[in-house]
Amino acid sequence: MTRSAWAALAVLALVGAGATLLAGANPLAAFAALLRGALGGPQQIAETLVQTASLLFPALAVAFALRAGLFNIGADGQAVVGGLAAGLIGAAWPGAGALSAALAGGTLAGAVWGALAGALRARFGGSEVIATLMLNILAGLLATYLLSGPLRAPGADGPETATLPASAWLPLLAQDTRLSFALPLAVLLALALQFVLARTVYGFELRAAGKAPEVARRAGIDLGAVAFSALSFSGAIAGLGGATIVTGVLHRFNPALSPGYGFIGIAVALVGGLEPLRIIVAAFGFAILQSGSLTMQAFAHVPRDVIALLEGLAIVALAARRAFVARAPVPP
Amino acid sequence: MDAFALELRGIVKTYAGGVRALDGVDVTIARGEIHALCGENGAGKTTLAAIAAGRLRPTSGSVTRAGNAGFVPQHPHLVDRLRVWENVLLGREPRRGLRLDERAAREDVAALGATYGLPVNPRARVETLDAGAKQRVEILRELAREPALLILDEPTSALAPAESDVLFDVLRALAARGTAVLVVTHDLGDVAAYAERITVLRAGRVAARFERGAQPAAIARAMIGGELPALAARTSRATAPCFEARGLEAGSGAEALRGFDLEVRGGEIVGIAGVEGNGQRPLADAIAGVAPYRGTLHLDGRELAPGRPAARIAAGLRTIAADRQREGLILDWSVLENLALGDQRRAPLGGGLTLHRGAMRDRSASVVERFDVRAPSLDARVSMLSGGNQQKLLAGRALAETPRLLLACEPTRGIDVAAAALLRSRLIEARNAGVAVLAISVELDELFEIADRIVVLFRGAGAGEFERGAFDRARIGAAMAGVRGR
Repeated sequence: MTRSAWAALAVLALVGAGATLLAGANPLAAFAALLRGALGGPQQIAETLVQTASLLFPALAVAFALRAGLFNIGADGQAVVGGLAAGLIGAAWPGAGALSAALAGGTLAGAVWGALAGALRARFGGSEVIATLMLNILAGLLATYLLSGPLRAPGADGPETATLPASAWLPLLAQDTRLSFALPLAVLLALALQFVLARTVYGFELRAAGKAPEVARRAGIDLGAVAFSALSFSGAIAGLGGATIVTGVLHRFNPALSPGYGFIGIAVALVGGLEPLRIIVAAFGFAILQSGSLTMQAFAHVPRDVIALLEGLAIVALAARRAFVARAPVPP
Repeated sequence: MDAFALELRGIVKTYAGGVRALDGVDVTIARGEIHALCGENGAGKTTLAAIAAGRLRPTSGSVTRAGNAGFVPQHPHLVDRLRVWENVLLGREPRRGLRLDERAAREDVAALGATYGLPVNPRARVETLDAGAKQRVEILRELAREPALLILDEPTSALAPAESDVLFDVLRALAARGTAVLVVTHDLGDVAAYAERITVLRAGRVAARFERGAQPAAIARAMIGGELPALAARTSRATAPCFEARGLEAGSGAEALRGFDLEVRGGEIVGIAGVEGNGQRPLADAIAGVAPYRGTLHLDGRELAPGRPAARIAAGLRTIAADRQREGLILDWSVLENLALGDQRRAPLGGGLTLHRGAMRDRSASVVERFDVRAPSLDARVSMLSGGNQQKLLAGRALAETPRLLLACEPTRGIDVAAAALLRSRLIEARNAGVAVLAISVELDELFEIADRIVVLFRGAGAGEFERGAFDRARIGAAMAGVRGR
């Protein structure tokens, strides 16, 4: 790590300690409780890894779009429609292949949700930020409508699907935990995205459009096509993430399956420098904060909000570091 | 004239990575002196200017300044969305109580412009200005701080000749008021005219010092440490119809094209001469396919459909964009990746799912060698290269293979004499190989050197056509100024 990265970490540690003191607790005890909650035993570690997978999908979705210069803040909505499709398909699929069908359906649904924003951007130049934000709300309403009305599961008392048959469950990675194959799937996806971005013609054009649209346009790159496809793929990644939460963790669809993962995913993507492999590490780091924060609140009496504060500060520190590096003189 | 505005003693600058940009440089500038700092790309000019301005700390050596220093960079550093007065007074806005006194601010800026002979419209948005006006804004912003020393990095690189003359008048007036002026430049034609003293840098050291009246040729020899190579010889050749524009209308406002016809044959360099802002940009954008237009364009007998840059590239058009940093290169990317831009979908670089790294390396190595691009490595970021090396990269990409039509917009803007000579030779060689070359340049001397035919553009229409052998500076100049008649 560079000196500025260490400096950023030091600032975070100091602010975290200060906030903990303000909350009337001992920072060291709080930190210990955080670590115990996240990594204190096999069960805790498994739960942290479940969180890692849940954060990794939306973070990769955000990063992929951002590499094309597009800000997808709708990963939550895409995860909801992806999870909804996976839940409906998984519950209704007869016989073999239910899991594959549920995951494929979730991916496709997320892609469609992303493509809506992509089409608006490509066709009319509409801001993808507004479109994906609005589509978040539409996704929740759509799920609630479908599951309270036309597709209401018999005996359900909320907008939920029926519990999926075991044939539609993601297999567990470790018995007696919630840790499923969602994690290796997410890591494989990160590797694939790294390859797409670094090595393929499509990734080259996408990065060019994101870095310097005017240069890309003059090099024959169709900016509209890049926007449409990048947001579609981004939605597909987030949709697959929602589908893995339904098939791997909840085993049914519930509209609250992605409680802000899409937004934390933005932070994870930025801390990971928009590089898929580094995002894996960043997702693990954020997962520690997420899964340890409950223990910290319960045992060290530090509100969970301190964690949200630190996550926000991580982005500020990162932005400050970028500005700092950008101002450094460049040799001729 | 005994008081020094700037004294640099034994300046050494070593960058991280061990690159020694400056190696013991002494320069002194008196109050009211116009001093020119010349040198090739990478000689250390920009580094020395940054040290003189206090923007960069030397590794060793002493810097003494009589007052503060203003710095006008080669590429404008302005807030495009803000208006002229806002840019000039940013951080020093006149106030009335807590509120910004906008009227006073506008009047201040207009008065400042009038004082120094730099006319600007304080209310104009910077993004709507051309390069010359942006530079005036930038100079005014620095002058508003009343510097003892004003440093300008390549100030004429984006200016038409007439605009350069205005700039020199401004600098002389400034010097007469006692401000010291340091101009970093490679433009030797002008240096001798305005600079009282000239320091030539080569490879981080002072190679020579000259007084006013020195021969440009002597300065050039000091810069490159030898004689300029001769331009490539033009071979006689058979030409064939290649590119045709009919009834072209494009752009808007004063610089719009109004019914322009043009033909460029394969194996011919056609130069578009004209004062900047007479339709060059709409013409280039229409040919590149990045802006709407009316009329027709044909390349090798096939019509080019509007709005399809990719189809034009496939048809064999390659472009040296006028603005290398905004339109041509991705500064954050490596040399390697920049050289693949535009050809990513065609063999040998692309064509399939993945890019062929081997082919990219082969092409880059060849371009870097043929165009003498001085880069630490093929993986170095383009932002690390000097402006001249960036330009050579841009031209090298356009000529990596043999295109059908080469659109060269200001092909040697902002680069030193040796690099410019190299690029001009490469253009002539492309012509000899049968490429149709359309060179748009505000530098008439450049077109005299390379063009087979010169077409003058005035207010968006053709204002005269001259064959090589009948190039007449007076008549072409008259056509550029809109004076009709044979």
